[in-house]
Amino acid sequence: MLLAVLLPVPATSVGADVVIAVNANVPINNISFGELRRIFLGERQFWSSNLRISVLMHAPVAREREVLLKTVYEMSEAQFRQHWIGKVFRAEASSAPQTFYSDEEILGALASIPGSIAAVEAARIPRGLKVIKVDGHLPGEAGYRLR
Amino acid sequence: MKLLMKSSMILICLGLLRMPAPVLAQAPNSAESNDLIKALLARVEQLEKRVAELEGRPAPSPTPAPEAPEAVAPPQPPEAPPSPPEAPPGEPVTAPQVHMGHPDEQGSAPVSHIAGFSDLNFSTTDRHGARSGFNEGQFVLHLNSRLSSKVVFFGELSFSARTDAGTGLPPATGFNAEVERAMVRFDQSDYLKVSFGRYHTPINYWNMTFHHGQWLQTTASRPEMVQFGGSFLPIHFVGTLVEGVLPASGLNLNYNLGLGNGRSSVISRAGDWGDINNNRAWLVTLFSRPNRPYGLQFGGSVYRDKITPIAGREFREWIQTAHLVWQKENPELIAEFSNVSHQEVGGPSQSNSQAWYVQLGYRLPGLQKLWKPYYRFEYIHIPAGDTLFRAVPSLAGSTIGVRYDISSFAALKLEYRNQRRPGEPRVNGAFAQTSFTF
Repeated sequence: MLLAVLLPVPATSVGADVVIAVNANVPINNISFGELRRIFLGERQFWSSNLRISVLMHAPVAREREVLLKTVYEMSEAQFRQHWIGKVFRAEASSAPQTFYSDEEILGALASIPGSIAAVEAARIPRGLKVIKVDGHLPGEAGYRLR
Repeated sequence: MKLLMKSSMILICLGLLRMPAPVLAQAPNSAESNDLIKALLARVEQLEKRVAELEGRPAPSPTPAPEAPEAVAPPQPPEAPPSPPEAPPGEPVTAPQVHMGHPDEQGSAPVSHIAGFSDLNFSTTDRHGARSGFNEGQFVLHLNSRLSSKVVFFGELSFSARTDAGTGLPPATGFNAEVERAMVRFDQSDYLKVSFGRYHTPINYWNMTFHHGQWLQTTASRPEMVQFGGSFLPIHFVGTLVEGVLPASGLNLNYNLGLGNGRSSVISRAGDWGDINNNRAWLVTLFSRPNRPYGLQFGGSVYRDKITPIAGREFREWIQTAHLVWQKENPELIAEFSNVSHQEVGGPSQSNSQAWYVQLGYRLPGLQKLWKPYYRFEYIHIPAGDTLFRAVPSLAGSTIGVRYDISSFAALKLEYRNQRRPGEPRVNGAFAQTSFTF
């Protein structure tokens, strides 16, 4: 099972799905869509008491960001910005998700930042990066929602 | 600029080093060149990290230094870097923020992030004796700093225009500075966070959500029950808070437990310098943001305090509040209710005062979703026997308006208010506000 999670997802089977990838030290292989939403909203901030979650996101117009905004946040770009400005202003978070301008950058950060999580297009996932299931589904499977 | 010049110089040097063999053949020897290349590559990597820090982005992952070339190969055309996705024209990608501090290379000094909010207003009413005109709203600075992976500091400073804040006699107009919030918090986990400081009392949704960021709220004005400088609810709380969130099978139950100084002798103020009596105020707040339906929040609070408005008279205060919120914008719904009970210690005075409001908004789907009309009805009932709230008038009022988002970080709001207080004529007013974050 673990091997299946660590292996790259075959691009031919997933179309334009977006996968949820995490740093190798994140101690889960599956997450519910509700928890995933709470993480990206900044409402859940810890994997465990000694591992803080770092949310990484592509810059605007990237497809991964659009999929997250549409399916997870259910917000426009402006609403997303207001959400995070409010979150920081309410002292509920100390910063908005880190923004990256290229796949290389975000994949590099995923590999090096403990507790990091990001959405990446399935076709661009390199071998060895840890991909987690959402509601028990991998990209390409029926019921997978991040597309 | 200095950094750019340095980078340019290094790149020029690198370019020269990568020139074809006949040119490099003039170099004294290849070993020195290789050392120089290594040193320059290391320097370029340092500068890339520094640029990334200044841009607020993580540094690119370090690339292994290439082996020193055995022989200089002909120059290859550089690989085109991946083009960054375009941001919407004219809009910065991230929220405006200033980073301050002196991080050293080990990151051992904290870096502070500053953001701000402000608003400018125009008002005109038919209240007898009122003057129309412009006025400057609050100028608010928000600071946060991560002191370690588990300790964070948050602060909020406001500068408010007042008629009597200046010097001289009679006092000139000016600005009052106030520390609205200042707290240091230890985050053990999502379940447990402990903080000490000055807060906006977490017994009211509006007070907990919008603070002094006028731009964050849909309307130009706050409900009267949580008006800044108002007395109905204690706006500030000085003490300690324990908070967290429990999953509770998708209910996501948030809690706040607070112990603090409570109200001062001037009941609109918190006990900043110390408690007015030997009785601590305490509060319990529970609210839920369930996974389904996404956007719903509901909860309630209780707050208990003993107030000493003047020496020799003491009142016990009980506050119960409840809120129901639909956080999406099509529609947006905020409804809150508060009941405040006062019982004089050793005296006959006992009273119950209530306040509630319901606000509805709707982000219009057309016109690039920039327009959001809204309506709010609010009601405050203060019985004549409420000695502590003698200066708080009852109220029934409607607010109707529209918000237009000029950009992702600025809004224009036009508002009409109609308010009626007992024994006074009905007051109509028109208000315009531009609010923004920077």
